Amino acid sequence: MTFREGLTRMMKIEIVIHGDDVGAVRELLGATGASGFTLVSGVGGLGHDGYHQGSLLFNEHDAQALLIAVAPEDRAVPLIAGIRELLAERPGVMFVSETWVSRPEYFR
Amino acid sequence: MTIANPQAESTSSSAARLRADVLLAARLLPVARPLADFVAVNPLSGFEHLPFDEAIRAAADLYGTVGHLGEDAYRALVADGRITAEDVASVAPAGTTLDELLRGPAAEPPGRRLLTPVEQHDRAMGTDLLAAVDAHAVRWCAPYLDQGQASWTMPGRHHGLYPAWRALVPLVPGLPGTIRRRLEALPSTSDEALAEAIDAFAGCFEDRRDLLAAEVTALPGWAAHIRWRAEAIGDVTLIDYLALRLSFGRALLGPAVNDLPRHRSPRPATDPGPIEPGLVWQAALEHRERVRLLGAISTNTPAEVPADRPDAQLVCCIDVRSEGLRRQFEALGNYETLGFAGFFAVAIEWQPLTGGTTLASCPALISPRHRVDEGSDDDADALVRYRRQLSGIAAGDDAVHMAKDTPGAAFVLAEAAGWLSGPAAAARTLAPRQWASMRRRSQRRLVDQPTPTVDLDRGFPMADRITTAKTALRMMGLTKVFAPLVVMCGHSSETAANPYEAALRCGACGGHGGGPNARVLVAILNDAEVRVALHADGIPVPDDTVFLAGEHDTTTDEVTILDEHAVPGSHRAVLDRLRRDLLAAGAACAAERCASLPGAPSRPTDPDAYRHVKRRSTDWGEAFPEWGLAGNAAFVIGPRTMTAGLDLERRVFLHSYQADADPTGLLLETILTAPLVVAQWINCQYYFSSTDPEVFGAGSKTVHNPVGTIGVLSGRTGDLRMGLPAQSVALGEGCLHEPLRLLAAVQAPLPTIAGIIERNPALRQLLTGRWITLVARVDDVSDWTEWTTDGWVPTVTTTIGAPT
Repeated sequence: MTFREGLTRMMKIEIVIHGDDVGAVRELLGATGASGFTLVSGVGGLGHDGYHQGSLLFNEHDAQALLIAVAPEDRAVPLIAGIRELLAERPGVMFVSETWVSRPEYFR
Repeated sequence: MTIANPQAESTSSSAARLRADVLLAARLLPVARPLADFVAVNPLSGFEHLPFDEAIRAAADLYGTVGHLGEDAYRALVADGRITAEDVASVAPAGTTLDELLRGPAAEPPGRRLLTPVEQHDRAMGTDLLAAVDAHAVRWCAPYLDQGQASWTMPGRHHGLYPAWRALVPLVPGLPGTIRRRLEALPSTSDEALAEAIDAFAGCFEDRRDLLAAEVTALPGWAAHIRWRAEAIGDVTLIDYLALRLSFGRALLGPAVNDLPRHRSPRPATDPGPIEPGLVWQAALEHRERVRLLGAISTNTPAEVPADRPDAQLVCCIDVRSEGLRRQFEALGNYETLGFAGFFAVAIEWQPLTGGTTLASCPALISPRHRVDEGSDDDADALVRYRRQLSGIAAGDDAVHMAKDTPGAAFVLAEAAGWLSGPAAAARTLAPRQWASMRRRSQRRLVDQPTPTVDLDRGFPMADRITTAKTALRMMGLTKVFAPLVVMCGHSSETAANPYEAALRCGACGGHGGGPNARVLVAILNDAEVRVALHADGIPVPDDTVFLAGEHDTTTDEVTILDEHAVPGSHRAVLDRLRRDLLAAGAACAAERCASLPGAPSRPTDPDAYRHVKRRSTDWGEAFPEWGLAGNAAFVIGPRTMTAGLDLERRVFLHSYQADADPTGLLLETILTAPLVVAQWINCQYYFSSTDPEVFGAGSKTVHNPVGTIGVLSGRTGDLRMGLPAQSVALGEGCLHEPLRLLAAVQAPLPTIAGIIERNPALRQLLTGRWITLVARVDDVSDWTEWTTDGWVPTVTTTIGAPT
């Protein structure tokens, strides 16, 4: 028995983007049928253009955000294509990985 | 990876990529909120990743704008002695002199270079199809975007803009049969229609993103509003808008689509070439003004700080208009003033006692964090009665409006009440102040106003109140000496028949009046439990200190004290004196402002000036109620001793800050990443409304035609105007607002400032791109130094483009 038994395979997409681009990514998520996402605003860290301060007290616009979405593969593929297009012009990174979920109906 | 249906996957991926390209094109646009929530934005916010001069060039390709005053204007400033050879030498590329600039030919206005397909056709064939497409888009967007103002709702509106348009457009009378048939054959969804149109135009663009960029910037005001609306409300998308425009353009062009030449993208060259002379002139003008301001601060010798506690402290918004009030008020007694962002660190969703929708009263950089209701200690019956009385008045107004809009009823209304309208209009025109006063008195007689309070219990937990109190007081540097009365003074503006009223109100409060925010912070600071927590944290607010809210009407310079009933009897005497001195300070400010207000008495006494500005605020024919933030040029962050006693001509944002109360630099980081950013938006809004009024300004108010509540047109059609009306920045043919990029002058340790810039890329981008110039000094005896990517430079200069 492996930990995957009884779980359903899906794709997990994690995107770190400029706070001002959250709306655009949300629109892509909605348009490609992703049923939900997790948003962590004000994330910090070191990127290729230097250190990014985390949460700013009175500025959500310029802080970095992390969006996590899980979707079946058929929905993940267009979403990944759309986000890659966006990231060709905008700062940010995307991580795509396989994941296993216990309640697949939440993500369909 | 295995894909069950590769064809379907490919289609949906390509739709997602197209959507992403539309979202990228949208980023070229500013965000245009509706008029009631108008807050300043940088019209070139989509270009802020570029250095200023490159952004100007990129914007010129899309908008045909110039980004400076024009060389003739600068030559006139040279003739007036406002720009000198020294200024030019300080900023120009090596070897360029004033004489060379003066001898050089004036550059031609650039004109838009990235063209839509129908524009290309117009240029090639001498047609005017772009005007037809624009007018068509406006004709359908205006009714679709209406939010209940019109008495007619667009059929099929609930399906979305494109589907509603597609269903109705073939029914439009007068359409030629061929065009009608092309429109009838359009796909049912906007995604498909847009993809189809892009395919049809593929031959004339190297990159479809150029096509989308040209199309969204053809009518940037409408597209920018749709961009806002798509994110804020979600009842329209730019895909719908673009599908409509491109489909209609394609239908007009017909087979001519295939004859369009290939449009070369005006992408910037690797070497952008020499800086345009206009921008050298602009930098020279900025140099002159910056040297003047920093010199004044350096040589300022403010009066000794009184050893005793002041009689009162007045905390005003950082807005440049507060500077005059603060200066005049300080001169009248033992008073201290401070500057702080006018939302007073409370980002609230405010529910007024009158009911209706809540207001997001916070900067556009953040979302409301707490819901606060205006309450009343009066009994419930009094509240019900009050709302019923207000509803009755509103219903009467609605009935009159409805009667005006209904053909039959309009005649009845004219018969029954027409005899009143003429004298009422005459009274309102000839005696606006008395008319407004009479209306207020009548309303007071009709309505039993309950005593208002602020109800924090519904949505502002105690832990958040304590955090807010500490943050606010520390950020404004108010931690040691507290007067018996401390007034948190928000600001607002009351004007008549002015669609741009929100532009005169508090930008930090989302274009609303700052009174509610001031009242909320005051309620927090007067809370006994909060006081205990402040004491425990080293902020010893004396027991006899009472916080009080006020609101500064910037059109009249009158300060209204709010919730006065909450002031204990022990503080009545000082409150009476404070009110008297605020009245005097406001009148003195009004007298100062009369010098530049068109039609104002030239040297009025203070009482005459006060009466005059009161009249302006109530006059429905007044196009220049006040100058707003015209003239804004700098942002000073530091103790008031830096600027106390200086007449800064209401041109400087003033944020109080005490570096010794901020050992980690966290508070300064908040100031540099929030209020400074908002000030830069304001600065750029005024800048580009002045340099390119046709595209980034709103034109003359005299021809404004409001479209519901979303914006104004100049006349019957055309773009939804962006930016500020001419009457906010210009007087006659001249520019009243002299556009100057923002100078930030900070008094704080240099390593602290450099560290903040280093870890905040958005701030760093504004500084390296020269959207803002930051100078600093450690204390009031140090010299100013300028931040550059190479470190601190011990001279104050203005350069253009990216620093070396």
